[in-house]
Parts: sequence; C-alpha cells; structure tokens
Amino acid sequence: MMSETKELMVRDLKKWFRSPAWLFASLVQPVLWLVLFGNAFNPTSMIPSFPGSVAIQKQILQSTFGGAPNYITFLTAGMLCFLVVTWAMWAGGPLVTDRSLGYLNKLLVAPISRTAITFSLLLSSILKGVLLSGILLVVALVLPGGLVFANSFDVVDLLGIFGALTLLSVGFLWLFMIISVRAKRFETLAAIGSTLGLPLLFASSALLPAASMPAWLSEVAGVNPISKAADIIRYLIIQGSISGTTLTTVASDFTYLGVFAVICTILGVFASNHGLRVE
Amino acid sequence: MNAIEARGLTKVYPPSTRAVDGVSFTVGSGEIFGFLGPNGAGKTTTIKMLTTLASITEGSCTVAGYDVKSNEAEVRASIGLVPQDAAADGDLTGMENLMLSARLYKVPDEVAKNRADVLLGMVGLKDAAGRLARTYSGGMKKRLELIAGLIHKPKVLFLDEPTLGLDVQTRTAMWEYIRGINADEDTTIFLTTHYLEEADSLCGRVAIIDHGQIKALDSPSALKASLGGDVLEVELPDGPDVSTELSSMEGVSEVSRSGNVYSLKLVNTGRSLQEISVGLWGLGLKVIDSRITKSSLDQVFLNVTGRSIRDEVVDNGDAVVARARAERARS
Repeated sequence: MMSETKELMVRDLKKWFRSPAWLFASLVQPVLWLVLFGNAFNPTSMIPSFPGSVAIQKQILQSTFGGAPNYITFLTAGMLCFLVVTWAMWAGGPLVTDRSLGYLNKLLVAPISRTAITFSLLLSSILKGVLLSGILLVVALVLPGGLVFANSFDVVDLLGIFGALTLLSVGFLWLFMIISVRAKRFETLAAIGSTLGLPLLFASSALLPAASMPAWLSEVAGVNPISKAADIIRYLIIQGSISGTTLTTVASDFTYLGVFAVICTILGVFASNHGLRVE
Repeated sequence: MNAIEARGLTKVYPPSTRAVDGVSFTVGSGEIFGFLGPNGAGKTTTIKMLTTLASITEGSCTVAGYDVKSNEAEVRASIGLVPQDAAADGDLTGMENLMLSARLYKVPDEVAKNRADVLLGMVGLKDAAGRLARTYSGGMKKRLELIAGLIHKPKVLFLDEPTLGLDVQTRTAMWEYIRGINADEDTTIFLTTHYLEEADSLCGRVAIIDHGQIKALDSPSALKASLGGDVLEVELPDGPDVSTELSSMEGVSEVSRSGNVYSLKLVNTGRSLQEISVGLWGLGLKVIDSRITKSSLDQVFLNVTGRSIRDEVVDNGDAVVARARAERARS
C-alpha cells in the first residue's frame, strides 16, 4: 500500500506546485491573516496612550494572554492551528474533482488499496501544512513587534508544536475526508468548509483567550480541539521548556488531541473506504 | 478460456430501475466485442459491473477467468479501463500520466518507460509526451487515455465510448489504433458505442443492447444477413396497386408500399435487379426513381428494437453537447 500512497501523494504535491494561483494563495493567505488580524485586533493597542498605559498593557498581556510579550506571539499559535485546519478542510477537494472528471474511476479499477487514495491526500496535506506552518513561523518572527520565543525554547518545543499541529490536522482531515468521498460536487465541500471554517476558529482560543469569552462560548471553546492545540503551542512558545503543572496541562491536552485524532481516523478510514464506491 | 463470461448480469438502482436486466454473453480471448446501444441503454453500467466499479445486483460474471464478485483484486490486476470522459490528469505531462498508471499497476520503471515510448509512438504523441496534458486537444487526450489503459499489458481492455465527441478523421485513426492493439498485443477488447459505423467496422461480434437487455448478438455481417437482404425502393407513376405483381417476381422476397413508393426486399441484390427491371418492363411500368438501401446495423437495430438508433442519438444531442461543453471548460 505504501508505494501507491507515495505515488498518489507525489501526484497531489505536483498538482499543487503546478497551480501557481493556488500555491500563491496558500503561501500568502496565512501571512495576510497574521499581519492584518494581528494588528487590527491587537487588544493592547486599543488602550489609549497615557502615563502608565504601558504598564497596564503589560498587565493585560500577563493576566489574559498567558504572559505573551505581545499579541502576535499569542496569535501565532492560533494562526498555525487555523492554517492546518483550513488545509484539512480542502484536502479531499482533489477527490471531488477526480470523481467529476472520471479520474477516480481509473484509480478505483487499479489494483490499489482504497485507503491509499485517501491516505495519500492526507499525507500531502500534512506535508503542505508543515511547510506552510514553518513559513508562517518565520514570517511571524521577522514581523516588527512580532513573535518572540521564550529564552528556553528549544528543538523539543519546536517538535512539540509540529506534533500538536499534526494531531489536530489528522483529526480534521479524516472528518472532512468523510464528506469529500461522498460529495458529488465541489460546491458541497465549499459550502460546508466556508460555513464551518470561521465559526470553528471563533469558537476556540485561537484568536482570543477562552477566559475572556461568555461562559457558554468558553465551554464550547474548551472542547474544541483547535483550542487544545493552540494552548499547547502557546505554552511552548511563551514558556519554553515546560515543567510542573504546565507540563501536566500540556500532557493532558496532547492526550485529548491524540484521542481526537485516533477516533477520527477510525471513523474516517471506515467511512471513506465505504464511500469510495461508484455505483 | 473465455475473456468474459456474463450470466444473467443485472443491476438495479434503488428503488427499482433495472439499468441492466439479465444480460448474458461470452467474449472469447482476443476478440473485439461491442455493446451497441443508445445512451442510457445500460452499456456503461455493464462496464462498471465488469470492472468492479459497481456492485452486481443479480447474476454473475468472470473476467480473465476470475469471478468479479469474489476476486476483485485479481480482476483489477488483469484489466484496463478507458473511461468515457478523457480523464487524463491535466496537471501532469503525458509521460507522467503514463508512468503514474504504470506504478499503480506495479510495472517496474524501466519496463514502463520503454513501453510508454512504444505506445506514445504508436498513437503519435511522442513529441507531446513532455507537455502538460491540459494543453492537449480532445483527440490527443483520448489517445493518451487509450494507451494509459494499456501500459500494464492488461488481458482485457474496456473502452467506454472510445470515440465519443471526436471528429471523423480522429475517429478513423482511433479505430486503427484499437485494431492494432488487438492484433499486436493480443488484448481482448470490450467496447461500448452508439456509433453504428464503429461497431460495424471494429467488432468481431456485436450485442445490441436496449433498455438493459440484449436484443441481438452476432457478427455485424450475420446480423445484417438476418434482415434477409438489401432493399430496393422504386417510385412508380400514379396507378393501381401493383404489390401482388411485384411480389411474384423472381428475386423479390417481400414488398411493402407507401403511396407510390414500393420497397422490395431482394434475395440476391445483383441477380434480382436484372430480373426486376425485366419484370417491370414486362408490366409496362415506368420507374420514376429508385434506390437501393444496403442492409445496415441501423436497420438491424430498427428491426430488433422497433426504432432507429439515429433518432436516439439526435434525441440525446443535448447531453452530448453538454458533455462537450464541460470538456471544453475543463481544458
């Protein structure tokens, strides 16, 4: 199964690199989000300048934004999560196109495993996600007033960031794959993706801390896997090498994401193999 | 061993559409076998069942010796499918399309490269092999699809409407390629078509399918012969009905009349014509106009289904236009 998965993954990556508009949009969109959202919604810049205002800004960042040195540092974690979830939503897109163009029939009559068809898209989406997340991190770092890592931030923390992003993305990838294998038209995917995308983001701690939300929304955000990943990444960026109670929180968030990914994978593999019939 | 054996093959789409209704036939190894029928007759559904794409509601079939229901994997490894739509990946080059197909069928790269070169040369795409398939014309895409289905040397090749939407010249060329594949590679070919000329020119045997059922099955020449010969139409001047006189003539097996035009079914076209002209002269009848209609598969179709396939094709013109439009939008 691995060789055909690789072939189909390479096909999807080639298609990505050969669609200049798509590639450009993928690279620029998260950067635009970070720059525009990070500046327009920056809570500390909403405090007018007066003697002592800087101290108040610092206090807000300390108490509400988990000790982040600035809002972009806080937001970067959320943007990384949003980026991989958005990719997960569209990962099954090629499947819908292949179905409508008749290419899927060729794959289905080939002596290859059904899982290879979905799994290849999953892997290529994770690769794209990792690449684009890396770019986003670099852009956030070079932005004026941008991302600041904790002094003790190291390679293990960096791996932790990508680990959390991968688990988050695997879960959402399989969930949306279930829809993609059944969708006969691209519009179905677009409608579901555009309806769920932003609400999923707003109902999480990706943009603002859950604590600052009304109780009901804060509870929704509390179970949203995006919040778990964003929180993990934030701890790693802001505090660096973690220990003690923070480590316990991060470990439990990781477990949550792991369980989410495993359940979605089981559901997704079963439902997508079943849905990949032509009839 | 037969390449395909189908027994009572049936596909019911819920709630109760019998798209294919108890179809039985066998295709010998090395044969070019055609399914001829109008759009919606059940041709594509039959291909889908034979190629494991759609489940079989009732009946059974074997392809390349393997049972389609219980040996899906072996069947898939033994067949090639060229779908109706030219489904080459536009973002890959011609060569990349072929190599991807080859790798999915586990053909070693070296073998696949050589074979791809030969096949590209065969269909005249060697120079275009390095170009993205989205820059190909419709005919080029069809040719690429044809050879992509062949890269792994399948025992049985399924062609679903291989020349749909192609111009006459390209169609004739495609027929040559298909004949070549059949002869050189000893590949059994199962094709569907609603073009009479295609079935007539390419297929060793043809099954005429309508409303999911096989209405006739034989070689094109035998099917035509079953009609009982060519038809001579003669237009005579106004006058009394001479049907009886005409039918008693030597060489005429049957006469029908529509106004002053009489249709005479001929026993043996060459000899009958002479005898009829002598007979008409003897009756003192002056022929205003005459023409011979050679037996054709269209007439066979008319005979077994009660309507002309050409009418069906015109009726379905909108669907063809819509598909062509979609094709253009894609490329």
